[in-house]
Amino acid sequence: MTTTRERTGGPAIGRATRAREAPVEKKPRRGGQRRRAALAGLAFLLPALLIFGFFAWWPIAQSLVLAFQKTNLIAPAEWVGLRNFEILFSDPLLPRAALNTLWFTVLSLAIGLPVPLLCAVLMSELRRGGTLARVLAYLPVVVPPVVAVLLWKVFFNPGEGGAINALLGLVGLGPFPWLQSPDLAMPSLVVVATWSGAGTAILIYLAALTGVSTELYEAAELDGASVWQRIRSITLPQMRGVILVLLLLQIIGAIQVFTEPYVMTDGGPANATVTVLLMIYRYAFLFGNYGVATALSVLLAIVLVIVSAVYLRLTRSWSTR
Amino acid sequence: MHQRTRRALAALIAAPLLLGTAACTSAGGDASDGDAEQDVTITVMGKPAATNEAAVALFEEQVAAFEKEYPHITIEATDVPWDAKSFATRLAGGSAPTLLRVPLTEPPALIERGQVADIADVARELESFDKLNPRVMTFLERGDAVYGIPEKSYAFGLVYNRQLFEQAGLDPDRPPTTWDEVREYAAQISEKTGKTGFGEITTNNSGGWHLTGYSYTFGGRMIEQDSDGTWKAAFDDEPSREVLELWKAMRWEDDSMGAEVLGKQEDLVAAFSAGNVGMWISAPPDVYPNYINQGGDPDAFGAGPMPQGGGDATLAGATVLMVNATATQAEKDAAVKWIEWRALRPNVDLEAAAQTAEASAADGLPVGVPVLPIFDDATYEAYQEAIAEYVNVPVDAFAPYVASLSEFEYVPEPEVASQEIYAALDPLVQAVLTDPNADIDALLADAGNRVDTILAQHAS
Repeated sequence: MTTTRERTGGPAIGRATRAREAPVEKKPRRGGQRRRAALAGLAFLLPALLIFGFFAWWPIAQSLVLAFQKTNLIAPAEWVGLRNFEILFSDPLLPRAALNTLWFTVLSLAIGLPVPLLCAVLMSELRRGGTLARVLAYLPVVVPPVVAVLLWKVFFNPGEGGAINALLGLVGLGPFPWLQSPDLAMPSLVVVATWSGAGTAILIYLAALTGVSTELYEAAELDGASVWQRIRSITLPQMRGVILVLLLLQIIGAIQVFTEPYVMTDGGPANATVTVLLMIYRYAFLFGNYGVATALSVLLAIVLVIVSAVYLRLTRSWSTR
Repeated sequence: MHQRTRRALAALIAAPLLLGTAACTSAGGDASDGDAEQDVTITVMGKPAATNEAAVALFEEQVAAFEKEYPHITIEATDVPWDAKSFATRLAGGSAPTLLRVPLTEPPALIERGQVADIADVARELESFDKLNPRVMTFLERGDAVYGIPEKSYAFGLVYNRQLFEQAGLDPDRPPTTWDEVREYAAQISEKTGKTGFGEITTNNSGGWHLTGYSYTFGGRMIEQDSDGTWKAAFDDEPSREVLELWKAMRWEDDSMGAEVLGKQEDLVAAFSAGNVGMWISAPPDVYPNYINQGGDPDAFGAGPMPQGGGDATLAGATVLMVNATATQAEKDAAVKWIEWRALRPNVDLEAAAQTAEASAADGLPVGVPVLPIFDDATYEAYQEAIAEYVNVPVDAFAPYVASLSEFEYVPEPEVASQEIYAALDPLVQAVLTDPNADIDALLADAGNRVDTILAQHAS
């Protein structure tokens, strides 16, 4: 894959070289002009930076402060040191929520990664009806999440009349309690999350697939490669950059799962679907304890940063091979 | 850079900042106290849901009449109801209305967090203030300060479907009075009709709310206060165990509770209105208007006493009106005037009571639903007489419930951290109703620890 490495490395090296060469090339009297131009650029950027800083970075900085305070957002905040973290770590629900979140993440990767990829590969092979397939695949993304989730709640009705149970009943299975069962509730939520998120992933995979050179497939076909061999040796390696980015986004998204447990199970039954984000929500908006909620948010953010860094480190060699 | 460019750039940067400052200034300006008669606009909760057209029409008539009486006040009403989850968000975000309409479980935390205003100066001047039920007012007063006024109060009772009773061969005029009877009746209804014999709710803190109410009927309490003033969990005992064992038996031995046990009150109201549930526990006067609005058959509705397990007690609560802490003096005055107009006057001013009843009846709204009165008995009797000719609810269907109201002790919800406690109890109730092998002792011990932690945090 020499070509890929050159393509990836090329522009960066070029930029670096140009940057090094630049001072030598230009005449000294033009330096002031350049600096002024840079200053003007910065000045033009300033309003955007200020607005971005105010709406994006300021709340983050504020939340870091809030994690060490006790406040009801009306009376003046009071510094409490590490008290919020102490409360958090003494909460017996925290390990449960962390494990649940991990379980959700593992399940949603196990189902949520291969399904859209497989769909995209199959759809790219369609000779007819590709547009219709893409529309159908993307439709769940257009449905408002709460509506979709409530619809699924009806599908998951535990009685024999529930849509899924009725279907399974045709082949002599069930009825299953789905959301009413501590064991089945989380996998049920993963199915919903995968269903609602797959459309976007499929579109991205499809776009990436168009970038794979058809010559490679033709060559492979001439060599007598089977469909599976073509997918394994051409499609997947060619798409690995996209797959790795989507996988990371999926991990981050799964760890922050909220809508499904919030709307469908409220963390139940018996805490089987309480996630970290649901705990943050309850601390903040149910119990009015914003300090502890922010402390947990900060912890979650730290975990996400670590997970992302480790992930990028682990996959660096593979993604640039 | 040209001077002109620099100026333009400076203006570009300064404009948003100035706009921001201006916005802050105008917001701050509104907060200044002013003349009581100045023009004022208040936002109020309590507008009926848009689907209940008749109730909305009546509400709007009341608003129009109020604004005519007080031309300087403008009412902006919202039909967004109180919700355990979104309510705190709205308060924190500053988007909560001026007048808050909340269940009686909320005032302690709202008062403690400084999120509601002391309205003593205006409220004490109301003519009817002294007639308000002191048992409810205890929760709304702190020393001389008054933080709210009750709109209505309720006590738990049994809500049941008379038609399903008949179909199951039960006498609809004799609802069960003990939990043993409830279990027996529920099994019979399930077996004979195929419907849910006894419905239960377990999410959004409703599982904890019901466990609390049921435990009271066995003589239990959820929390208790030590001599040194600290609160601790008190439900790891026989009364709670009895309730959980009852649930377990009804769910797994009798299979009389249906398959859907992971819902909240609204879900069960819908299922009950559709005639799919035989019995459940709630505040019957509160359920009835929603039941009718969702197409429930008035003749099928029945309200019985809270089933007992030896405690002779029932959980009592109320809906109270409070004023947002961010309200100005003028807004506070206006809000209390509105409370009097909408919530108090129709109970004490007999002419207004009759007019409201007549208008409600004309719009097809339920009139004369028997309630737990927020005023003293004499006032309530006079009110009932005044509206007698417009009563259109099957009062007889409420008779067993009404007759029981004087028999039981009214026990309020947990005095501190009630919502947190309910949230901690939800998983316990869910475990018993979704896991046939749930270990009740272990679950109770676990929930007890959790509630103790909550109470300790609450005290710190």
